[in-house]
Amino acid sequence: MNISMTRIQAIFMKDYKEFSRNYAVSTMALLPLIMAFVYNQTGAHTISMYFLSINMAFSVVTTYIQCCLIAEEKEKNTLRSLMLSPASLGDILIGKSLFVFIVTSVIVAMTIFIVGYKPSNLFIIAIALMLSAVFYIALGTLCGLFTKSIMEASIIVLPVMLIFSFGPLALALSSTNPIVKIAEWLPSSQLLVLAEALERTYTTMDVIIPIATIIAWSLVTWIVAGFIYKKRMVD
Amino acid sequence: MNTVIDVQHLKKTFNKEAALKDVSFTIQKGEIFGFLGPSGSGKTTTIKILTAQTEKTAGDVLLFGRPANEMKQSNNRKRFGILTDNSGLYTRLSIEENLLLFSNLYQLPKSAVKEALDFVNLYGERKKKISQLSKGMMQRVTLARAIMHKPELLFLDEPTSALDPVNTQHIYNGLRKLNEMGTTIFLTTHDMSEAEILCDRVAFLHKGKIRAIGSPKDLKKEFGDDSITVELKNGACEVIQTGEQDAEKLFNWMQSNEVSRIYTNEPTLGNIFMQITGSDLV
Repeated sequence: MNISMTRIQAIFMKDYKEFSRNYAVSTMALLPLIMAFVYNQTGAHTISMYFLSINMAFSVVTTYIQCCLIAEEKEKNTLRSLMLSPASLGDILIGKSLFVFIVTSVIVAMTIFIVGYKPSNLFIIAIALMLSAVFYIALGTLCGLFTKSIMEASIIVLPVMLIFSFGPLALALSSTNPIVKIAEWLPSSQLLVLAEALERTYTTMDVIIPIATIIAWSLVTWIVAGFIYKKRMVD
Repeated sequence: MNTVIDVQHLKKTFNKEAALKDVSFTIQKGEIFGFLGPSGSGKTTTIKILTAQTEKTAGDVLLFGRPANEMKQSNNRKRFGILTDNSGLYTRLSIEENLLLFSNLYQLPKSAVKEALDFVNLYGERKKKISQLSKGMMQRVTLARAIMHKPELLFLDEPTSALDPVNTQHIYNGLRKLNEMGTTIFLTTHDMSEAEILCDRVAFLHKGKIRAIGSPKDLKKEFGDDSITVELKNGACEVIQTGEQDAEKLFNWMQSNEVSRIYTNEPTLGNIFMQITGSDLV
């Protein structure tokens, strides 16, 4: 694939300027911070509560913003303009994703700070959070490619946000509804499983399985997103 | 190799409905080729196939001697520029920011932005946001973007549809200048006078088929009837043939100083189109 740093940087800067002037989308980045503050005030300092805020940051910021950025490009026909320029699939997706990745990193770091989460193994958690960000960006890309406008994007992203943010909470119902056990394999649940394991004595497999699961979700979602993008290139 | 576009027996169907039926034409390097027809005749579909935005159903389509499908490749996209009716500009960014983005995507020097803005007469307005522009100004920004990288081949889909006469003239002059520098231009329009002013050759597309192709001059000769109209000072209008038979009549009117105006009855491209298709242009 033909990748150019100049083109990636150009798309990144364009997205930064567009995002900073689009208050309808950029103010959404504040929502997880408000939620984190509210949770912190409740005094419930548990790992699952911390990760409810963190997973919400991923859904609301990462998936929603990426989805809206792509949906707006489609709505205004600018994605077609990019596709007709020398920018390759890699340039466009990396340029857009890099911007959302940086916004996500800042918001997730601030969320962790506000809720007061102090992981026992910061290195492993940081890797798992970065891999999760990559997955949620892919998810946002996929949702954006399926929509035709920002209005549609705001609706299509809601169930996705609900499933991935609150999936781990559904596990509480798994004793009465065994089918809900599937939620255990969501990347958001695996992130929680990993974080909980790190707070006690853990084995290598306790770390590898959640991380491998998140990587598998990312890979599959990116492959599907790439395939859909290529299909959208032609009418 | 001088053939820039070579289309043979091109067919395109959408949901079993034929948009293009056996379309064939070639365009040589340095030509301004007009693809004329009413809305819905298949002009935009042809551009989309040529620029690899739509797959053809059947036929051969070559650009620069390579299958049109290869125009998806990054390096090949630098060889053409495109202006469509759907601008695809970033409305929250300024004119300059929009062009700077594309100059970076094409990896051009910053001076290319100024050159392109001068070309469309918008350098003074460069700080304005796209959302504040009129449709005509947006059209000019899109044109600046299309020509910024000095493409070998330029696709223009209704380039002056939203422009006033002064800016239309400015764009015509610019396109001629580009063409003199070697850019081949593929122009679709339903404005027959535009085609007459700009094009070396035109093709009439109607209901997915090419009905006639040639230079405007040759088409007028082919479809004209060699008659001239003489307006006399008494208000009468006489149509006479340019042969020997009516020469004496004309001579007598001129001798007796009765002639007010003489003009040829050369058909316009619009007349020819209607003659061929029996349709009005939309």
